[in-house]
Amino acid sequence: MKDSTLCVLPRSGHRDNVVVRYFTLLIMLSYAILSLFPFIWAFLVSLSPIVFTATGGPHAGELVNVDIKKFPPEINIFTGTVFGAPMTLSNYFAIFRLFPFARWFFNTVIFACAVSTGVIFFNTVAAYAFARLRFPLREFWFSVFLATMMVPFHVTMIPLYNLMVKMGWINTYQGLIIPKLISVSIIFFMRSFFIGFPKSLEEAAYIDGAGIPRILFTIVLPNCKAAIAAQFIYVFLGSWNEFMWPLIVTSKPEMATLTMGLTYFQGGFYTDWQYLMAATMMITVPMFVVFIIFQKQFISSNISSGVKG
Amino acid sequence: MKKKYVEMLYGYLFVIPVIIGVLLFVIYPIFTGFYYSFTNYSPLDVSRNTVNANIQEEIEIQYNLDPSSTSLEEFTAGFDIVTFLDYGLLIDVSGVKKDILIRNFDYKLFYSDFAGNALNKTVNVADALKKYITKDSNKVFPSYKPGFKGFENYRKLLFKDDLFWLTIGNSFFYAIFVVLIQTLLAVILAISANGKKRGVAFFKTVFFIPSITSSAAICTIFMIIYNKSGVLNNVLGYFGVEPIEWLVNPDTALPAVMAMAIWTTAGYFMVTFLAGLQSIPAEMYESAEIDGANTLQCFTHITIPFLRPQIVYVVILGTIGCLQVFDQIYFLITNMKSATIAFYIYRTAFKYGDMGYASGMAVVLFVIIFTVTTLQRKFIKESVE
Repeated sequence: MKDSTLCVLPRSGHRDNVVVRYFTLLIMLSYAILSLFPFIWAFLVSLSPIVFTATGGPHAGELVNVDIKKFPPEINIFTGTVFGAPMTLSNYFAIFRLFPFARWFFNTVIFACAVSTGVIFFNTVAAYAFARLRFPLREFWFSVFLATMMVPFHVTMIPLYNLMVKMGWINTYQGLIIPKLISVSIIFFMRSFFIGFPKSLEEAAYIDGAGIPRILFTIVLPNCKAAIAAQFIYVFLGSWNEFMWPLIVTSKPEMATLTMGLTYFQGGFYTDWQYLMAATMMITVPMFVVFIIFQKQFISSNISSGVKG
Repeated sequence: MKKKYVEMLYGYLFVIPVIIGVLLFVIYPIFTGFYYSFTNYSPLDVSRNTVNANIQEEIEIQYNLDPSSTSLEEFTAGFDIVTFLDYGLLIDVSGVKKDILIRNFDYKLFYSDFAGNALNKTVNVADALKKYITKDSNKVFPSYKPGFKGFENYRKLLFKDDLFWLTIGNSFFYAIFVVLIQTLLAVILAISANGKKRGVAFFKTVFFIPSITSSAAICTIFMIIYNKSGVLNNVLGYFGVEPIEWLVNPDTALPAVMAMAIWTTAGYFMVTFLAGLQSIPAEMYESAEIDGANTLQCFTHITIPFLRPQIVYVVILGTIGCLQVFDQIYFLITNMKSATIAFYIYRTAFKYGDMGYASGMAVVLFVIIFTVTTLQRKFIKESVE
C-alpha cells in the first residue's frame, strides 16, 4: 500500500520501487512522443516534394503525387527519401517565390521587436512609479488599471477597430503596434517585484545625490535584469504568435504577419500541404531556437506566474 | 518640500504614457462597446452614407466647365451646389440642408479651388465640402449616428437567437472539458516527473514545446493530421476504423479541436505543478507516514493543499482562455454548429457588419466570464480550506 503511486511519487524518490519508476517513465516517454509527433510529421511533409517521378510500382516512370499520410513515413536517410519520394528543400524556396513570405517575415520581426521593447519599457517604468514614487491619484490609477484586466478583448475589439479606422491606422505598422503597448499584467507583476526590491540601494544612491531617473536606470533596472529578460521573452513570443489583432487591423496581404499569412495558403478547394507545412516550420522554428536559448527564463516566468495566482 | 514635487513630477512622467494608452485603447473602447450594445451600429451604414468622387472631374463633365477658362461669374451662373449634389452625386440635400447650402455656401472659395485644380482628386465628398460651408456644415453632412435601440439587442440575443445559445453552450462544453482534462493531465505528468533526477530537464523542454508554438501554426499542423486523408485516419485504419472527417463532422469537430487545445497547454501547466510539488518538504510525507496516513490521505491532505495556488491559477487562467477561444475555431471549424461564442461575435461584427449586436454579445460574454471566475475563486478557496 505504501508503495502505490500517489503517495510515494511526490517524494524525493529514493525509496520508489522499480515498477513505479518504470511506469512513470513510460507515461513521460509516451507523452513526449505525443508532444513531438505533430511537429516531426509537419517537418517531414515540408521536406517532401508535391509530385515526383516514381521509380517502381505500377506507375514507374510517371509523375505521381506524394502520399503524405503514409504511416510509417518511409524515411531513408541514406537514399534521402521521405514518404517514398526524394527529400527536397524546394518548398522552402517556393513559399518565398509564390507568396510575399519575406514581407510577412519582416512584418512579424518588426511587430514582435517593437511590441516587446515598447511593452517592457513603458510598463516597467510605470510599474516602478507605482511601486516607489508618491504622486497624487496613484492608488486610483492603479485600481483602474487592475479593473480593466477583467474585461475580455471581445468587448473592446469592435470600438478599437473603429478607432483605428478613424485614425487611419488600418493596414499600418502604428496600428499593429501602438495599441498593443499596454500590458497591465506586466505593470502588476513588475510592481510587486519592485516592492520586494531592497530599498537600501536606492537610498544610498539618493544620499550620493543621484536623481530619480539615474537611480532607476543605473541602479534598479540593472539589478532586475533576470526578471525583465523573462518578461521580455514572454512578450516577444506572444507577439510573434499573435493572430487576432493582425487579423482585425490588417486587410492587405503585404501588411500581414506570418500567422495571418498562413490563412493565404488554404485554397478554397485544394491546399498544397507541402507549402503550408514549410511556412508553418518557418514560423515555429525561430521560436524553438529562442526557447532553447532562453529556457531558464521561460520556465522561471511560468513558475512566478503560477505562484502569483 | 522640493523632493516631494520632484518625486511627483517623475511619478507622472513615468506613468503618463501608460495612462494615455489605457484611456485611449482600453477605457474608451470599453465604454464605447457598452454604448454600441444598445445601438444598431454598423460600419456598412457608415460607408453607405459616404460618397467618394472626384469633384473637379464631375463638374467638368456634368457642366462642361473648363477650370482654366471659366471666370467666377460664368461659374456661378452655370453651377449650383444644391442641384449638383442632388442630381449630380445623388446626395440627399432637401429641407433644412438646402436652406443652409443656399445661405452659407462660399462660391468664391470653391471657385478659386476649382480654377486652381485643387479639387482634382477622389475624396469623401462630405469631408471635402465642409470647408466651403461657412456655417452649420454639420447639419448638411451629419456624422453617422447609430440608432439607439435600448435593450433590443439583448432581448434578441437572449430570447430569439438560437445560434447565440448554441455557441455559448459550445464554449462551456469546450471550457469545462479542456480545463478539467488539461489540469488533470498536467498534475499526472508533474507527479511522474517529480523526484526523477535524470532526464527531467529533457522532458520539461519537450512538454513545453507545444505551448510556445503559435496557435495558427498548431492549427495548420493538426489540419493535416485530422484531414480525411490524413495520418490519424491512416493510423486508425490499422485498427480497422473507418476514415472520419474529424473537422467536418459536427460530432467530432469540437472534440478534435479540444484534444488539440489540451495537447497544447498540458505541458505548460505541468511545469507549474512540478514547481509546486518540489516546494513540498519530504519530511511532511515522512511524518504523515509515521502517523499512519494512507496513500489517499497523503495525497488529499498534503499534495493537494500544497498545490492550491497552482490549481487556482491553472483553473482560472484556463477557464478565461477557453471561454474566449478564437484562433483554433477560426482555422479549423467550418460549421457554425461547432463554433464558439468568441467566433460568433467576430463573425457578426466583421463579416456581417452588425457591430451593435456583436457588442451586446461581447458584453454578455464579459458578464459570464466575470461570474464564472468569481464563483471559481470562491469555490476553490472554500473546498481546500
